[in-house]
Amino acid sequence: MPTLEAHIVKRRRVFTVDVHLRLEQGERLALFGASGAGKSTVLSCLAGIENPDSGRIHFGETVFFPPNLPLYRRALAYLTQSDSLFPHLSVADNVCFGLRGHERNGAQRWVEELKERLELGPLWNESARRISGGQARRVALARMLARRPPLVLLDEPFTALDRPTISELVDAILQWHRELGFILIAVDHRADILEKLCTRAAAIEGGHIVQQGTWPDLTAAPATPLLARLLSTG
Amino acid sequence: MLAFALALLYPLAGLCAPIGHWQWDGSIPGSTASAVSVSLILTGIALLFDVALGTPVAWYLARHSGRDTIVWEAAVLVSVLMPPLALGILLSLAFGPSTAPGAWLLRMGVPTSNSPLAFTATQIYVSIGYYIVAARAALAAVPADLERMASLLGLRPCQVFRRVTFPLARLGFAAALSLAWVRALGEFGAVIVTAYYPSGMPVQIWINLQDAGMPAVLPLLVVFLLTALPLPWVIHLIAQRRHADANP
Repeated sequence: MPTLEAHIVKRRRVFTVDVHLRLEQGERLALFGASGAGKSTVLSCLAGIENPDSGRIHFGETVFFPPNLPLYRRALAYLTQSDSLFPHLSVADNVCFGLRGHERNGAQRWVEELKERLELGPLWNESARRISGGQARRVALARMLARRPPLVLLDEPFTALDRPTISELVDAILQWHRELGFILIAVDHRADILEKLCTRAAAIEGGHIVQQGTWPDLTAAPATPLLARLLSTG
Repeated sequence: MLAFALALLYPLAGLCAPIGHWQWDGSIPGSTASAVSVSLILTGIALLFDVALGTPVAWYLARHSGRDTIVWEAAVLVSVLMPPLALGILLSLAFGPSTAPGAWLLRMGVPTSNSPLAFTATQIYVSIGYYIVAARAALAAVPADLERMASLLGLRPCQVFRRVTFPLARLGFAAALSLAWVRALGEFGAVIVTAYYPSGMPVQIWINLQDAGMPAVLPLLVVFLLTALPLPWVIHLIAQRRHADANP
């Protein structure tokens, strides 16, 4: 049962991000805070896109940092605001991109399920260049989950999507979380989305976690005025 | 626009100039066939070196933005901006018997002038800068976040290059290659200093001009144009077409 343990220290221009996290398998944590609070820095350090200045990140037996483990050796999925679909490939090839030959055969039923649940059938052979923004987000989600990752990082993946699409994607993620049991860390500045997606929340301000707990804990007694404001407007 | 295009293409009318019968045979020193094969084979070899040496450099320059990059870019630009004749003279001096590397090569039995090696090395020097600059632009146009995403999906760096970077940059690479091809194949100023023999097409055209006049020049000139122009021309047209398709 892989556990994620991370202490991330990363200097920023205005402040230093210094965050401790510990998540057991299947946990769903929301990193909540204002824009520029350091939430995305935490995720990009976990994913390996940025190197922490110090600290350590362990995922089960695997050491992510230090030394910095190459991106391709991290068993995780990372979904950001940008879909980053490969424009020279079809939707089908995008979804199966991370599957190696033998995995591709074994994952056939799973890929079929992703295709059906995310309504990708009609687009399956389309070029990734020619699909809409909402469709691209669904393809990115399918591609992310095709490898059945044990750790999923979501960095504001619902930005610029309409409410019905967001709701549909959140439901899909929760359903697959039940099936796959991955650790989920989601970042957003909208509390209502995170509340639906995650059971636990950590509020970040100025690079530090100022409060942790369940959503009712946070909303009942926000630790800072900014957090109170964010929770009331989220 | 039409007048401008006609003016641009007008030099081609020179092929129809009334200069008498074209002289096709090898009555002049060095045959046309030999010059064509020297140019094509040695330019092909030079391009292999351009790709093998220039692609990693282009990738480095496209993906790094530190201060050292400015230094490397400046070095590449020197090779692009160097007047060919000056480059030829400098190469023949730098690899001549009066310098340590040149003397060592000669001791090892490596001829540093008037040899296929000197010809190819000169072509590499004159073309690799162009290849790097164009390949760098092609690679820089591939969004880095796509490469990152491919890595996050479990691909090693060489797989990322093969499956993402290269397919997205291939037309740019083709353009870079065709630019290097034209530059190397058409090189005269540097090659005439370092490798008068074996004569490639440009040097042979000059020899024909000196020894037998225009009638002996034009046949080789036609072959020269047919080998130099179509590749970059077609690649440019395909690139324009693809760009138009991608951005309707």
